[in-house]
Amino acid sequence: MAGSALRRLMAEYKQLTLNPPEGIIAGPINEENFFEWEALITGPEGTCFEGGIFPAKLIFPPDYPLSPPKMQFICEMFHPNIYADGRVCISILHAPGDDPMGYESSAERWSPVQSVEKILLSVVSMLAEPNDESGANVDAAKMWREDRKQFNKIAEKLVRKTLGLPSP
Amino acid sequence: MKALVATVISLALTTVVIGNAYYQKKQFYPSIVYLTNSNPSMAVMYLQAFILVLLLGKVFRRIFFGQLRPAEFEHLIERSWYAITETCLAFTVFRDDFNPKFIALFTVLLFLKAFHWLAEDRVDYMERSPVIGLLFHLRILTLLTLLTHADFFFIHHAYQFTTSKGPSVQLVFGFEYSILLIMIINIVIKYTLHTIDSRWEAPWESKAAVLLYTELIINFLKVLLYIGFVAVMVRIYTLPLFAFRPMYETMRSFKKAYNDVVLSRRAIRNMNTLYPDATAAELAAADNECIICREEMHSGAKKLPCNHIFHAACLRLWFQRQQTCPTCRLNVLRAPAPDTPHAPDGVQPGNVPLVNVPLGNVPLGNAPLGNAPLGNAPVGNAAAPPPAPNVVPPPFPNMPPPPMMGWGLPPPPPRPASLATLSAAELQRMEGHERRNIEARLQLLREIQAMLDASVLLMQQYSAVVANLPQNSANVATQTDTIVNEPTPGPAPVQVKTEPEIAAGTSSATPSTSAAPPTASPAHTQHTDVSSSDNTSLHVDREPKTETDADAEELRRRRLQRFTTAK
Repeated sequence: MAGSALRRLMAEYKQLTLNPPEGIIAGPINEENFFEWEALITGPEGTCFEGGIFPAKLIFPPDYPLSPPKMQFICEMFHPNIYADGRVCISILHAPGDDPMGYESSAERWSPVQSVEKILLSVVSMLAEPNDESGANVDAAKMWREDRKQFNKIAEKLVRKTLGLPSP
Repeated sequence: MKALVATVISLALTTVVIGNAYYQKKQFYPSIVYLTNSNPSMAVMYLQAFILVLLLGKVFRRIFFGQLRPAEFEHLIERSWYAITETCLAFTVFRDDFNPKFIALFTVLLFLKAFHWLAEDRVDYMERSPVIGLLFHLRILTLLTLLTHADFFFIHHAYQFTTSKGPSVQLVFGFEYSILLIMIINIVIKYTLHTIDSRWEAPWESKAAVLLYTELIINFLKVLLYIGFVAVMVRIYTLPLFAFRPMYETMRSFKKAYNDVVLSRRAIRNMNTLYPDATAAELAAADNECIICREEMHSGAKKLPCNHIFHAACLRLWFQRQQTCPTCRLNVLRAPAPDTPHAPDGVQPGNVPLVNVPLGNVPLGNAPLGNAPLGNAPVGNAAAPPPAPNVVPPPFPNMPPPPMMGWGLPPPPPRPASLATLSAAELQRMEGHERRNIEARLQLLREIQAMLDASVLLMQQYSAVVANLPQNSANVATQTDTIVNEPTPGPAPVQVKTEPEIAAGTSSATPSTSAAPPTASPAHTQHTDVSSSDNTSLHVDREPKTETDADAEELRRRRLQRFTTAK
């Protein structure tokens, strides 16, 4: 038998392929290496990200699921909880103990019970409802709070970009 | 592409330099002498050698590793930079015997080191790779054999050189290759473990533990070597700055390995002692799936106090990091709080009704019996207001604080470890004790409340009376100051039946004289008594204190004593 991390990732991959949650596709980039996944997330309906298809990369640690994976969008994003380089900042991706923003309780941190599916669903809800307390992208957080119109405009531009459409 | 260009350029340069030398001297030996004496030519030759080594490295890498994964490559580059800087630092220590041979030796060392690192990364990758082919095994085994031989050869060489010619730079080489040899041992152990694991169908539970201990021992050996090396270097040469970074990292990883082992042992101990094995029925109820590894649970599943079930092996790994339930984050160490400190290793909480021990010793159940009159007395007072004011100094100054102190003293009974682990009979027994104790406590509290109500009532009457007898105020004030500090107005008419003469005569110096109530009084002088076995039970001292100051003094002394013992 291979390592437990690998077996668990294979199990999750199988689960995600058999019962894919709506609006989410995820799987290893290359089946030789189960520790790097790519995911496609569709922007939740009724939000400014509606219609967009956002690609992201998930990197799993060797001791997954004891440690959380890292997630990074590989398209341009403008969102209060996504760093400029695309890294996603949500509490369930943080191992208990490290708290980059200093506001998360350990109750919402990573635990082996979490899964790729739950992470991606959390990211979808993060897209729908940004948490402007954690300023991974301070500009975006500020704009989200103070100038929602402008924020929506930028988001729409990004959506069109991910779809390969020219900006209006 | 860049490498190719560099190789071509360097080859061209070398050809030009050698051609030039030969063109000028026309003969073999003079050309060699010319080459070695001309600095630019030597620089070109060094560059060529460097490029050759890199090419050789590429060839070997191709043979033994095939294509490097990006992570491996990054790792290699990062470690190489550190190693090169440290080698440069080492040069400064041995600048006296700086010659081409010396540089060549260091290059070989770096070269071999790089292959050790790559082998380590590759073997670590085994666990994460879905398919391990025959080629992989062949490559790794050949590489490991070759590296081991090289290490042995260089260690031997260094040893021979040092014993025959005294300490030299060979010390460094001997030490470096020893570290590499230890690394090889570590890799071989890991490789064996992974190979055995990959042959088995079922997950191998104790593999993690074996790896943990291997890590600890290997790191310990490394730390010993580093310390020995630094000591020797300090004695013979100078502080080996170039060994400090790796030494620090080794120490850190040793500390981490040690912590891991400790945490793991604690987790195992907790699991074995605190949490029961899940039964088949419970497994079926939980879908048979361990949420950590997403695999079926057949045996070796453990149930946490919060009723969540996991593989014992998965739990152990998680508990090394955190002592919480993965599902509900219940702190498993804190949940059965009294257990961890009290229960020694291997004691099943179910066998020892921990809860009963402290409670049984503290005769809380007796307390209300002793208290019964205590509770009644003030109530009686309140019920019969007219005589109460006559007993000018009611018993309160003597009474209230000590019982409260006594109360606070016994530590709250520890909560039961985990009720789930106890059998029905044990539960019943425990409940029996518990209930009686709680009832006793409740009754006690009720009595205290009644007493307090009564005392408030009494105080009201008291102040009403005091307002009417201003003459007695001085006396009264001194007696009641523990309870009420309200100033009593002016002179009071002598109306009450207490002996005003005595009160006036003794005044505040001996307030207790009048504090002793007459025998007929419905209020009894009470005080709590610290008995030898416990300090919570209350005794009612019914003896009326009509006598002297000595008695009162004695009373006060005992009270003070109790205060000090209570603390």
